[in-house]
Amino acid sequence: MDRRRFLKFSAGGAAGAAIGASLAYVKPFSHSPEKEAERVEVPTTCEMCVNKCSVIAVVENGVIHKLNPNPENPKSRGMLCARGNAGLQQVYDPARLKRPLLRVGERGEGKWKPVSWDEAFDFAAQKLSAVKAKYGPQGTLWSSTESFQEIFFKNLALSFGSPNIMRHATLCLSSVNLAYSLTFGTVPAFDLANSKYVIISGANRMESFITPDTMDLIDSTMERKARLIYLDPRFTVTASKADEWYPIRPGSDTAFILGMLNVIVSEGRYDKEFVTSYTLGFDKLAEHVKPFTPEWAAEETEISAKDIVRIAREFSDAAPRAVYYAGRRSSWYRDDTQMRRAQAILNAIVGNWDREGGLVPNGKIALGELAVFPWDDPVAPRVDEMEKNFPLAAKGDGAYLKLRENVIAGTPYPVKAWMIHKQDPLNALPDQARTLEMLQQMDFVGVTDIQMSDIAWYADVLFPESTYLERTDPVEVLNGIRPVVVYRQAVIKPVHDTKTTLEIVQGLAKRLGLSQYFDYTIEKWIDAELKELPLEAPLEHLKRHGVYVAPDFPKYGTTLTPDHRFITKSGKIELFSERMQENGYDPLPVYHPVLQPPAGEYRLLVGRKAYFTHANSNNNPWLNAFDHGDGLWLHTESARSLGVETGDAVEISSAVGRVQLKARVTEGIRPDCVFMLHGFGKRSKWQRLASVGASDAQLLETAWEKVSGNSALHETFVSLRKV
Amino acid sequence: MKTIEWGFLIVNYLFLGGLSAGLFFVSALATFFYRIDEPSPYTRIARLGAFLAPWPVMIGCLLLIFDLGHWYRFYKLFLHLRLVSPMSIGSWLLVLFNLVALVNCYAWLTENQRSALFAKLPGALQFLGNLNYDLDHWRRRIAIVGLPISVGVGIYTGVLLGAVQSRPFWNTNLVAQLFLFSALSTGCAALILGLAGSKRTAQELRLLYGLDICFMVLEFFIVLPYLIHGELSVQAVQDSLKLILGGPFTILFWVLFMGLGLLTPLVIELRELVPVMVSNREFHYNRFVAAAAAVLILGGGFLLRYVFVFAGQMSAMQ
Amino acid sequence: MATRPKRYAMVVDSKKCLNCKACVVACRAENSVPLDYSRPWMNEETRGVWPRLMASSHPEQCHQCAHPACVRVCPTGASYHRPDGIVVVNQDDCVGCRYCMIACPYDARFFRQDKGVVEKCDFCVQRLGRGQVPACVETCPSKVRVFGDLNDPGSKLSELLSTREYRLKKPEAGTGPQIYYLI
Repeated sequence: MDRRRFLKFSAGGAAGAAIGASLAYVKPFSHSPEKEAERVEVPTTCEMCVNKCSVIAVVENGVIHKLNPNPENPKSRGMLCARGNAGLQQVYDPARLKRPLLRVGERGEGKWKPVSWDEAFDFAAQKLSAVKAKYGPQGTLWSSTESFQEIFFKNLALSFGSPNIMRHATLCLSSVNLAYSLTFGTVPAFDLANSKYVIISGANRMESFITPDTMDLIDSTMERKARLIYLDPRFTVTASKADEWYPIRPGSDTAFILGMLNVIVSEGRYDKEFVTSYTLGFDKLAEHVKPFTPEWAAEETEISAKDIVRIAREFSDAAPRAVYYAGRRSSWYRDDTQMRRAQAILNAIVGNWDREGGLVPNGKIALGELAVFPWDDPVAPRVDEMEKNFPLAAKGDGAYLKLRENVIAGTPYPVKAWMIHKQDPLNALPDQARTLEMLQQMDFVGVTDIQMSDIAWYADVLFPESTYLERTDPVEVLNGIRPVVVYRQAVIKPVHDTKTTLEIVQGLAKRLGLSQYFDYTIEKWIDAELKELPLEAPLEHLKRHGVYVAPDFPKYGTTLTPDHRFITKSGKIELFSERMQENGYDPLPVYHPVLQPPAGEYRLLVGRKAYFTHANSNNNPWLNAFDHGDGLWLHTESARSLGVETGDAVEISSAVGRVQLKARVTEGIRPDCVFMLHGFGKRSKWQRLASVGASDAQLLETAWEKVSGNSALHETFVSLRKV
Repeated sequence: MKTIEWGFLIVNYLFLGGLSAGLFFVSALATFFYRIDEPSPYTRIARLGAFLAPWPVMIGCLLLIFDLGHWYRFYKLFLHLRLVSPMSIGSWLLVLFNLVALVNCYAWLTENQRSALFAKLPGALQFLGNLNYDLDHWRRRIAIVGLPISVGVGIYTGVLLGAVQSRPFWNTNLVAQLFLFSALSTGCAALILGLAGSKRTAQELRLLYGLDICFMVLEFFIVLPYLIHGELSVQAVQDSLKLILGGPFTILFWVLFMGLGLLTPLVIELRELVPVMVSNREFHYNRFVAAAAAVLILGGGFLLRYVFVFAGQMSAMQ
Repeated sequence: MATRPKRYAMVVDSKKCLNCKACVVACRAENSVPLDYSRPWMNEETRGVWPRLMASSHPEQCHQCAHPACVRVCPTGASYHRPDGIVVVNQDDCVGCRYCMIACPYDARFFRQDKGVVEKCDFCVQRLGRGQVPACVETCPSKVRVFGDLNDPGSKLSELLSTREYRLKKPEAGTGPQIYYLI
């Protein structure tokens, strides 16, 4: 071949070789090796629910990557539930409240103008002052749900002069608290870990709420062969794990307990020594329960007399390691305090009080208190007239539904301003239309929250709060069989322009002339709290461990001394309650059967799944993925009579509202009941995920428990229609 | 996660790869019987097969590459040879097969065709004309080398599926044979289709019919034990077969594949060929009948792979 | 002193499982798994007619098989079997052919559309390096999962496997799964 060709060849060959050689060094689309992520672990306390488990936040390059359980807390014991793990999504939620907002347009239109903190504070203070000038400070309502910083909000209300603190207790377990307090003088913890026999009415511990009690129950029933008897109109997860499950007729739990009492008393199976030494009123009780035979109870409960007798015997045999568990949810019926009283009495007479495996009074840890400039107590009486309506209930907690009625009626005096902290009354209270009525007649509505809840959607001004991972809070004691002090410290700096409750309160206080009551930092407050702890350097300990465990617990039998005085009128455990009698209530539980739904209607049952915290975490994408809250549980027969199958749209109507859900046909519910999840069907357009489904608040009728004022949530009947 | 991961791209590749394997195989077979200076039906078969063979598989390989999560990482397949992985072996087989098929195609070009081809090259690449070698005498050697490779390509796709214990629909050693004979049959069919259009191809078609009938009969007698043994096998296999015995793929399998894709063309070809053989008459063929049979076989081959790929992936999802 | 090499496995006590999804969320956070996918999944069963009913649930994830089919079929060796028993995917070498997904008898793998590679549970190898157990094991309220070293006779895992009855899932697939379900 000639030279030209040769040159061409070699040039081509050389070029090819060069390219090929360089390609060997080029890794197509490779990424540079990652820098070792900067990793910090910060212990803190969860705020996804009321359990306040200890967590360790893992922060990588300034971003919270994971929340791990903190094994040092003997209550949460190295576990973190689905909500706890999803907590970090609160911080990075794109639909969070990121800056103060002022409403433009009508309430509920959802038109907002971002404003500076000064503007927001000025606006709120001016409105509150205007209401105060016209109606007095009692014309303002301050409602909140428990949080570590709730105390500041409450103190602002009190220093402002308003008696109308509306806490969440009557949306929660106030009938339980009241019934047990009236009997034992205190609300005990349940030593489920050491129980051998547990009876639970409806507290769906293994599905609706994962708590240390859940873990204790699993340990005792599945590792140590304790027996679990569970009563629920639904076949829940707890029902599937229980040794015996009874689909009890709704509202008849009192009859069941009275039947048990009848057997235990008539067969002499109670702890005679305990009854003599520590209780009052046994003879009256014995006389009272005579007519409540197992046969009578069987008629009411749809549980066979044979089973009632056997359970009563097994329960008393297992005592003192036997408990009738109180649960902690809101009331179901108007008479629930009596039902819980019956529980307390049953627990008392088998002598499980202050014993291993029984009811144990909470161990406490004393915290110090910052000396704050004192304010004058509010002069006016509460608008819900607690003394008159609920003389035995905890006055400071109020009665939410009664309050709502009074405020709407304008009696005994008008209430025209409403400040809300970490609460969504539009979803938390039954009968949403009524809550809206109350809201619309307010001159001013202000909300502090981390997200655009439904009440925020309807408010006039929004104060965005930092999430629990972005704040340092006062320390809290978790009383119990193993009391601990938990610490919450900011894991990262606030991602948006948000403030803590204290900072918001201080901002308002400045403009309301109340600064002198809030002139401290959170650090000073915490320091004062920690002074009483028997530690060298308590703050350092808490910063490093996140929790302080009180030594020498559990302690059993501390109240079982001859000279111990129970915090009751008589100083004894009151089986017969004189205080109740004095106030016009039955001193011993009397069973009043509840109305059953007429033909063609169903009792609406509401409840929880442990991935959701009431109405406030349903918009969390990691949690919402598990359930969109758009299902209505109904029995196969009910579905057949309506002609619906799973997935069909069903319209549900009650006396106060109408919603639509998809049918979830199941064998696992009584044919006379239907069930829906709480906290969906949001009005707030910023809660896109949780807008799916329906709000039970729109269906539930206003009903409250007689003695405590507690919301009664199972008194509503609904009718269904295939759409 | 219960998803269908291998879809149309894979089904198409399996079909195209099998088609190329079959085309090469028949071409190579014909190569052993032709004489370079004696025109015979073998020559035309071998030449047409050689010309057609490289292209379906090359398209199939492109489809495979684009099916990958990172298409540009396909080169990593050639940094390893893992003998336990049918896919690793298959990748290498495909590369070799592509090369051999291209060389074979080139080898069957006539002198004139070669010159015309090189003349078409743009100026810059004219130097490639130096590669204008005459490979006529290499044809048989290329066929010997390529034959096992083409069988490998035809059979490994079945091994790919058959090696997966977790898919009861596939987990039988018959799948490899089934795919092989289906592939060879589609190769014959493509050639029949290609030749049916031209005049004076009776001899070629007679040969192809004969070969194709053999392949289809073998195919049928593999499907039969596959079904019979499957029905007599463990519950998981029986359950998986329900997909074609009452399940969503029943019509596709029995009516379209078995009926139209296998038995109908078999009967057609038998009817065309057997009377001629028995009576030793001269073979006249109907061009449209030939084309119809060929199209049915090709469709059947595609459907066979479609049913197997989809039903197989569903067969573990209990 | 010669120590036996570690061989990780997991024991699942199904009856304790509440289907609370803590493990799913913990894994999602720990391993940055997008919402479209999940490394562990829940198996649920309900049966019966009112009021005779049963319901149960138990978690499942990659069984880290002793003879993994996914490793065998991988054409690039991206899926490999560590000496400690964990099967991992080298995401740099994975070409995304998904053969392993088809080979897995448990459908434990999934294809990340956003990354173009296959992913699955790897027993949180990054946590093991720090002396922690996998996130799903740690977070569980009822401690359904027990994680440990098969070669350590003193581990809780070994104790359970020695003293309790258990079953494996799909043992007929022959892959030697290493998640043991207590009966």
